[in-house]
Amino acid sequence: MRIEGIFGSTIELLGKSVDLRAKNHNLIASNIANAETPNFVPKALAFDDELQSALKNNSSGQRSSAIPNQRHIPVRGVGTALQSVSGKVIETPAKTPGNDGNAVELENEMGKMAENQVLFNASVQLLTKKFDGLRTAIREGK
Amino acid sequence: MDFFSSMTVSSSALSAERTRMNLISSNLANASATRTPEGGPYKRKDAVFAATPMEGRFNRALDGATAQQVRKVEVTEIIEDKNPPRLQYDPSHPDANAQGYVAMPNVNVVEEMADMIGATRAYEANVTAVQAARNMALKTLEIGK
Repeated sequence: MRIEGIFGSTIELLGKSVDLRAKNHNLIASNIANAETPNFVPKALAFDDELQSALKNNSSGQRSSAIPNQRHIPVRGVGTALQSVSGKVIETPAKTPGNDGNAVELENEMGKMAENQVLFNASVQLLTKKFDGLRTAIREGK
Repeated sequence: MDFFSSMTVSSSALSAERTRMNLISSNLANASATRTPEGGPYKRKDAVFAATPMEGRFNRALDGATAQQVRKVEVTEIIEDKNPPRLQYDPSHPDANAQGYVAMPNVNVVEEMADMIGATRAYEANVTAVQAARNMALKTLEIGK
């Protein structure tokens, strides 16, 4: 068994998920901060589909185009499909913008923030458990 | 890209909402002030909010497309309400004109109160966003503990 094999793609996936959720939080905080700014359109980070397809590619061993030259020696964890997922910033305007052109729905943003936070914590929790499991295995269950 | 930029964004909003709250207090306090240093009755004041990109971060270029979309909020100017003063009939008032009308400030107290509730709620929402960022940052410190 290769030594890097013990980490598998789960840790990589969870790390990426934590990273993307942190970025998403910045966008949500920006939407909440501008909840009263005229003509402001709220934004969000969409990455579910990208992450899903990257996970498929990752498990089938494909390398993404992030490697600039095919003759480069691939470094594990760098340039894999998962690593190159960066999400896409999309606009999420409210269906009925206010008279000042502001399209932020505060309730919506607060809900998204709570959801994002819970999923972030879940990813961190899973990462912690994963490392705990590895540590138990290394100590032979002692 | 880190949690601190989201805290910068939220705190910019907190300060903007506080400015707005100060203006609302000023409007309410002067709702019947008929004299000002500039002359004439007090005029209602309002803050203009503008979404501004994050600046002064040398690693902005490294942050990628997401960070470029993050906007903080700034009070760009404080405007005076152009609406005409409210005329109130009170011949005994020292500032009454020849017809007995006094020019009162163009402040609508009910509107100001509603605006104040809006500012309070917006402030609270941003405090929640700061708390969320803080909790998430603390949670990451638990990885590998």
